[in-house]
Amino acid sequence: MVKVFIYPTTSLILSDLVARFGHTPLSAAIEIRERIQTPGLESPPLQITPEEPKVGLRWAAVEVPSGVRGRMSLYGPMVDQAEAAIIVNDADFSFGCMGCARTNELIKYLLHKKGIPILDLNYPRTEDEGEEFVAAIRKFLEGLGGSP
Amino acid sequence: MSKVRIAQLSCGPEYSGVQKEIEEAAASVDAEIFFPDIKLADIRSSFQEFGLDVRSPDLKLAIARAKALVEGRVDADAVFIATCFRCAEAAIVRNELRRYIHEHSRLPVVSYSFTERTTSGTLLTRMEALTTIARRRALLAREVQEGLTLGVDSGSSTTKAVVMQDNRIVGTGWLPTTGVLQSAEDAIALALKEAGVKREDIMATGTTGYGRFLVGEKIGAQLIQEELTVNSKGAVYLADTQHGPATVIDIGGMDNKAISVQDGIPGTFTMGGICAGASGRFLEMTAKRLGVDITELGPLAMKGLSRKVPMNSYCIVFGTQSLVNALAAGSTPEDVAAAACHSVAEQVFEQQLQEVDIREPVLMVGGTSLIQGLVKAMGDLLQTEIVVPHHSQYIGAVGTALLSSGFIKGE
Amino acid sequence: MTGYTPRYVGSVTKYVFVDSPDMTPSDLAIRAYELSQGVMIKETCFGLMITGKVEDVNLIIEQIRALDPIHIFVKDRGFPPGDARRCRANLGGARPGFFGHEFEISLIKNISSGLARLRDRPPGKEPLPPAPGTGKKLDAARLKKIIESKES
Repeated sequence: MVKVFIYPTTSLILSDLVARFGHTPLSAAIEIRERIQTPGLESPPLQITPEEPKVGLRWAAVEVPSGVRGRMSLYGPMVDQAEAAIIVNDADFSFGCMGCARTNELIKYLLHKKGIPILDLNYPRTEDEGEEFVAAIRKFLEGLGGSP
Repeated sequence: MSKVRIAQLSCGPEYSGVQKEIEEAAASVDAEIFFPDIKLADIRSSFQEFGLDVRSPDLKLAIARAKALVEGRVDADAVFIATCFRCAEAAIVRNELRRYIHEHSRLPVVSYSFTERTTSGTLLTRMEALTTIARRRALLAREVQEGLTLGVDSGSSTTKAVVMQDNRIVGTGWLPTTGVLQSAEDAIALALKEAGVKREDIMATGTTGYGRFLVGEKIGAQLIQEELTVNSKGAVYLADTQHGPATVIDIGGMDNKAISVQDGIPGTFTMGGICAGASGRFLEMTAKRLGVDITELGPLAMKGLSRKVPMNSYCIVFGTQSLVNALAAGSTPEDVAAAACHSVAEQVFEQQLQEVDIREPVLMVGGTSLIQGLVKAMGDLLQTEIVVPHHSQYIGAVGTALLSSGFIKGE
Repeated sequence: MTGYTPRYVGSVTKYVFVDSPDMTPSDLAIRAYELSQGVMIKETCFGLMITGKVEDVNLIIEQIRALDPIHIFVKDRGFPPGDARRCRANLGGARPGFFGHEFEISLIKNISSGLARLRDRPPGKEPLPPAPGTGKKLDAARLKKIIESKES
């Protein structure tokens, strides 16, 4: 099983397909769950405290807005773990965790820089495109090896 | 009293760890934060109609929510716009949404750029002003002072007290703030003495400024009010511009306020308080360095030319160093005084006045409005003749004395 | 700052979305309750949320998926069900992630169709999408010709 970064990290479709074809999706929910289930200081809604933008300094410098650094404290470790990535490029209406375009640009860059296998796609607008979309993902995931 | 409902339009606070601070600040003034409920289809169409083609989805969401508020599809009492400090994309959206809501609705708006260090304390005065405007429109509509009232402005640098009677200022007191309560007592005593009235004759009392809660509780004030609404009211009252638009600028000892006012009620406003170089303190230090009293700095600056003194920084440390170097290199005290005034005015202009719409008349109030050189520098930057109303240094005390007369008949 | 004590420590929550002509969210819920065995199941407008120990949740999901594999979709959720921090009633409006679901659900029929068609195709015969951003731009010489033809 290969750990696959999915972009958008909140995607139901990608999360489902990666798991369906036998690999492990790296999704934002897992990082959020870890925070929600860890005791500490109360910082609703996501249990991201003012300390996390400081953790995010590892991926973005201090002049980068706090929201980018806070988000990178979620995504930076996921990028570190990623062994492959599937990126949907026209995810223009993914809010919240994927709500900041600057963070999203940085995530995509870091994934490409890592040199791992990456599949770039757009959302399917028709049933024909749906078939192409699923086929491409299945082929990509099969090519990753491991023992699905 | 039902809670004031403040709609939040934002990008980033949940990921900066400051959403709780925003909610706490609202809760402390008996308000609640909510997120306007819209549908995905609304987001798409509203975003396209608005026409600002930003990339960040959360900013698209903020735009769509703003449209829902303006078009009356979602009810709110006030709007709080918050985005990350240093994000250019968000700053553009923040400014345009503030302007859009201000122009197309009666909702009071405050916008704020936060960092992970933002606390509920920083946000409190802004939230208080928002709720006051939403909750006390009737009180803020007052244009005439009645009876015998006392107003106290317990500021970070100075404490001011004013006694008003039948729409006139009859007594004033002004002292540096040492102990909050003692300074207030002393300033009140001065104002009462000048007015020739006794404490027990006062029919209603109001407090404002940093020490408003402490002083207000001690003297049993009927009105304890933040300085944004009070100063707006005081400024348009003294300048006799209670109807129509106005802009109020108050460069204070610890923070600066810029308020866009309509019919005496703040529409949008900013408060800045991070940099001492953009405050009255910088001018105090300059006066000290020049060996003149702060009251002499203004006339001195009027005789100088700021451009003759190179200033490398707005900072209270490095900027002062520039002034000292200029003196050593032969600059005149007049030019140095003018340069200091220009430096403060320019920083306020660049960093704060961009956040409100400047609409004439522009009124400068507070102690620093008596420094003519500063007023001139600001007028030059804004390319307008700035109005400094009489008693402008007592602005908060006058505003609260005026408003507190609403409590005489139990309004 | 106040201390924070988490609830449901060690549990996982997964969303199960159903978009099927043959099965409604409540049908799915009934089947899930039958299989549940101590795992918490919450019915929603789009399907279910299942909370429990990871192995128990995965087991149920495996069984549920088998009911209608191409119309049932699953993903993780960070919060347990009914958490006030994500609840529409407390926020005044939908949490931001809801819109993302709304968007993907609007095109999930294309995915279901893709899954169905691929199931029926022989291996090696799958179509692949063009990579994004590879659409050819109009050649400058061709554009010049078009302009000239319009001018004449």
